[in-house]
Amino acid sequence: MTDAAPASSSEALSEQELEQAFGGDLGAGPGAQPSATVAATPEAPAMGADRSAREGAPSWKEFSHGWELGIYRDPVLCGVFAGLVLGVLGVFVVLRRAVFVTAAVSQAAGLGVALAFLVELTWHVPVPPVGGALVLALTATAILSLRMQRMRLPSETLVGLIYLGASAGAILVGDRIAQDSHDIASILFGTAVLVRPLDLSLVFAAGLVTLAVIAVCYRGFLFAGFDPEGARVHRLPVRALDLLLWALVAIEVSVTTRAIGALPVFAFAVVPAMAALALVERVRWALVVAAVFGGLSGGLGYLFAFFFEFPVGASQATLALLFLLVCLPIARVLRGSAA
Amino acid sequence: MAQPPPLLASRQLEVGYLGQAILPPVDLEIRAGEFWAVIGRNGSGKTTWLKTMLGLMPPVKGSVEQSRADLNLSYLPQRKAIDELYPLLARDVVRMGLDRKWSFVRPWFGGEPPEVERALDEMGVLGLANEPFRRLSEGQKQRVLFARLSVSSAHLAVLDEPTSAMDQVAEHEAFTLLDGLRKRHGLAIVIVSHYLGMVRRFADRALLLDRDTQTALSGAPSAVFADDRFQARFSERPPPLETAEDGDD
Repeated sequence: MTDAAPASSSEALSEQELEQAFGGDLGAGPGAQPSATVAATPEAPAMGADRSAREGAPSWKEFSHGWELGIYRDPVLCGVFAGLVLGVLGVFVVLRRAVFVTAAVSQAAGLGVALAFLVELTWHVPVPPVGGALVLALTATAILSLRMQRMRLPSETLVGLIYLGASAGAILVGDRIAQDSHDIASILFGTAVLVRPLDLSLVFAAGLVTLAVIAVCYRGFLFAGFDPEGARVHRLPVRALDLLLWALVAIEVSVTTRAIGALPVFAFAVVPAMAALALVERVRWALVVAAVFGGLSGGLGYLFAFFFEFPVGASQATLALLFLLVCLPIARVLRGSAA
Repeated sequence: MAQPPPLLASRQLEVGYLGQAILPPVDLEIRAGEFWAVIGRNGSGKTTWLKTMLGLMPPVKGSVEQSRADLNLSYLPQRKAIDELYPLLARDVVRMGLDRKWSFVRPWFGGEPPEVERALDEMGVLGLANEPFRRLSEGQKQRVLFARLSVSSAHLAVLDEPTSAMDQVAEHEAFTLLDGLRKRHGLAIVIVSHYLGMVRRFADRALLLDRDTQTALSGAPSAVFADDRFQARFSERPPPLETAEDGDD
């Protein structure tokens, strides 16, 4: 994905520029693209990508100034909350051995955004990009729930097919909706550098719904995953629970991918859960630890990107990986002492 | 004395896949307190028959009848069907036995009821309550899963090769524990087992299934073992009655 470092305030957007950037919400459609591209594209002059021209390293003062203006607050909050919720959801994704489902659904969401733009450009029918992302993500999830055994193929092949089809489709459709190739990724996925207020609201809303459903269905998800046949005999709606879980993944992934990009979303949905499951011996604690690791990866990753001038999404993913690398030897020591 | 009504009955039940029956029709009735053993060689259709009885697979023909709408069934599938990746304590696994009839409008909350520790104690694994399930030995895992059965309020428990990974001592202990559950809780038990000595000792009903010879034969274990079809299929006399000493070597 395309990504960028956060701009330090010496080169940051003025309030007027911010207004211009956020005023043109991508959600409004391709007509808003030029101003939105300012907000989301790494090469945009307003984001000050020419690092050589910069005087000194970014400072806390600059960051706090940008925070007060809302430039950094929203993406940091978005990264923290997306990391937290995806961390929790990721525990179930990893336990279901379906980590690449997240990647495939994310790509499908990107295709949905592209199609939404294409529909508006071609037929002048306004389609909310997030709506397109949701529809395609849910469709991909429904296809993934097909029983591949009947086709004498392993389930992974379907994940690969969806990933491939959605990726190719997004690029082909994107070619018709963007003038420059570097615009496509930011239009489809966002960049985590700046987050539009609408996207932040959607991330919060989808996250709260996801957490609420997990809280209500926790015991059902647990039994249905650990021993699905035993659960069915106990009259649990195992199939409905499975569909609900993957619907949550589709919604959360499509909304967060739109806001912060595919790479950090995939990282948050997999890596914190891996670290947590390596570290603790109880699912409920794994959920807490994964939420903490995910949230920290989102927040600290942004700070790391700001102060060391790295791309945000990649920094957040790297932070998550660092947590995992720290946790693995600790888990080994803990297992050794327990044995 | 009149027999109690059956908890579960198969009526001309044919089981199989994609509309193709793999076994002849089976008629049998399972009553409270009975200990059924389903025997047969690998691939003989035992698991398919069990899953159809439990409603996990649709019947090809015939029907499965339950004595009452609120009949509680519990199932202990083959070990490979249980996902040991899940980080759960032994007590968490037992707690699942109480999770019955979950629905979206009536989800479960709340803490751990006292039955969990009672069941762990009953199975002699109370000391393992806070141990990770995946780190237990095979025998310990089965005891924890038996504790899950114990708390499940089941009228009928179905177990698919629960002793397959056990040595002879652990296997004898497992059958003894199951027999204790049956007697204490009035539970009907249906167990798939390859250990004919244990079947002969503990079961009071046996069902021989064989896909290759299209056999479905039920009755008292001694009668089934004496049948020509059993003799031909297993090509040897059934082992002698197991004794406690036998299990200790």
